[in-house]
Amino acid sequence: MSGARFEYEPFPDLELPLAARLGQYPRQPDLFYDTARALGRRAAAVFFRSQFRIQVVGQVPDVPRLALMPNHQSHLDTMAVLAVLPERYRRRITVLAARDYFFERRAGAIAASLFGQAAAFDRGAELAELRRWARLLPQVEAGWFLIYPSGSRKRLEPHSGLAGVLAHAGWTVLPVGLAGTAEAWPVGRPLWRPFRTVRVTFGDAIETRDTRELAAELLAFWERHGRLDQPQEGPS
Amino acid sequence: MASVQPMLGCVWPARALGVMPEVGVGLDELTGDPLRFYTVAAVVTVVVTTGLLAVLRIPGAWIPLRTWFLILPIALGAIWLGQGAWTVLVAVVSILAFKEYARVTGLYRQPLFVVLVYGAVITENFFAFVGRYDVFMAIPTWAVLALALVPIVLRRTEGMLQWFALSVVGVVFFAYFLAHLSYLYASSLGLGYLLFVLLMTQLNDALQFIYGKAFGRHRWTPISPNKTVEGSLLAGVTIVVLTFLQAAIAFPWVPPLGVLAAGLIVTIGGQVGDLTMANVKRNAGVKDFGSILPGHGGLTDRLNSLMVTAPAFAHFMGYLFGGFPS
Repeated sequence: MSGARFEYEPFPDLELPLAARLGQYPRQPDLFYDTARALGRRAAAVFFRSQFRIQVVGQVPDVPRLALMPNHQSHLDTMAVLAVLPERYRRRITVLAARDYFFERRAGAIAASLFGQAAAFDRGAELAELRRWARLLPQVEAGWFLIYPSGSRKRLEPHSGLAGVLAHAGWTVLPVGLAGTAEAWPVGRPLWRPFRTVRVTFGDAIETRDTRELAAELLAFWERHGRLDQPQEGPS
Repeated sequence: MASVQPMLGCVWPARALGVMPEVGVGLDELTGDPLRFYTVAAVVTVVVTTGLLAVLRIPGAWIPLRTWFLILPIALGAIWLGQGAWTVLVAVVSILAFKEYARVTGLYRQPLFVVLVYGAVITENFFAFVGRYDVFMAIPTWAVLALALVPIVLRRTEGMLQWFALSVVGVVFFAYFLAHLSYLYASSLGLGYLLFVLLMTQLNDALQFIYGKAFGRHRWTPISPNKTVEGSLLAGVTIVVLTFLQAAIAFPWVPPLGVLAAGLIVTIGGQVGDLTMANVKRNAGVKDFGSILPGHGGLTDRLNSLMVTAPAFAHFMGYLFGGFPS
């Protein structure tokens, strides 16, 4: 007997609860959440632009595999980067966010995923998680990531872990300097302070694949472009 | 339409169920209003079941029961709110259930097919709400024709027969069949039809499970290995007896043979729906359609029986006794 047989291919995340489903990478196609995410990121960008005076320095290269690596000092950081990018770039971005902070509860996962384009990174089991990403990334042909190598708003020095894995996997590493977000929404304050100035500086791609050199270059870039009181200059 | 002759003096089932009149609510008023009666009956059933489980300590039974604490207020609350709220609930639940089905079969990777089935769900429920039976019956035809256009528009052949066939099943079961739950609300003969088919179908599922656990020895189908001859037969007998007990409240104009048929439709139709969707799961190699309802699985696991009982019951009653908009 000839003829094609039906081949069922169930989605691999059927058993996962919603928070885990929203946090997975690569994402499974989902008409509802993909539409909500498209609306959510636009709404977040409009909101951010309405609340703050924004300065943008530098350019973002149009390459298939890009890792944006900003300094981290405020809850506004992700929105700041997303708000200054055009939609055709913004929709490519996956923000890696701490699973223990953003993806433990359903409401947090929905907010992080829909407004912040977030996927979960398990910093509690960092070594295993880094191995998982090291296996996964070579299979990803195109994708933009936004990661915070410092891992916390209270620390400036970058960890070399995921940044190094991305660099090794062939991702173009782009340093991003965020200035003013710490003043616009300081750590510990319940709400942001509107109408402050926020500056986003996109640097030149870092070529090195050595993780220590990468960390050192990122730190140097953030120290040059991470505060508003520093003189504004072009990226280097 | 056949003449409606309510059976008189049939309030004893409510007494047998132990439904006591609340302050300001007489027993006659309670039993004369299906919505009030079934709401009280559902609450009593849940309370009694909770008590029984507390005494019997059946392992694993608490989780599905806890989920019923969520399902019942939402379903009955929407019915109490009115036809609009109920129709919206049926449409939303149908869309979510279809999404589960599409994710299990892989159809969800074909957005054009999926969007067309969503459209069929929404329009079916809308025309059930406005009471246009002619359009309600015509929508599946137009939906299938629209689905047939997809491979032509996309100019693709590979896998298209599979996606088309799975989408047609989606239109029939999740749009057309499930929309009969909205249509039953539109009956001019009251809410007895809807409440009967809704609650008895769910009870039938629960009884098959409970009887099967307690007395089941002989499995009768490889499609659903948990189904037993004893569980199915005992649930069937119980449902038919309960149908006779509540016929005076749900549909007092129906003669005994019709009541018997109504009970059989619920118990046999429920199993047909259950097995139809179980077949989908077995083919796809999954245990449940989802995990949104703890202890039950997905919405489709809860709705599968209703997919058959609702249309079968509605057309049976509509054909014999009328009462639906045309």
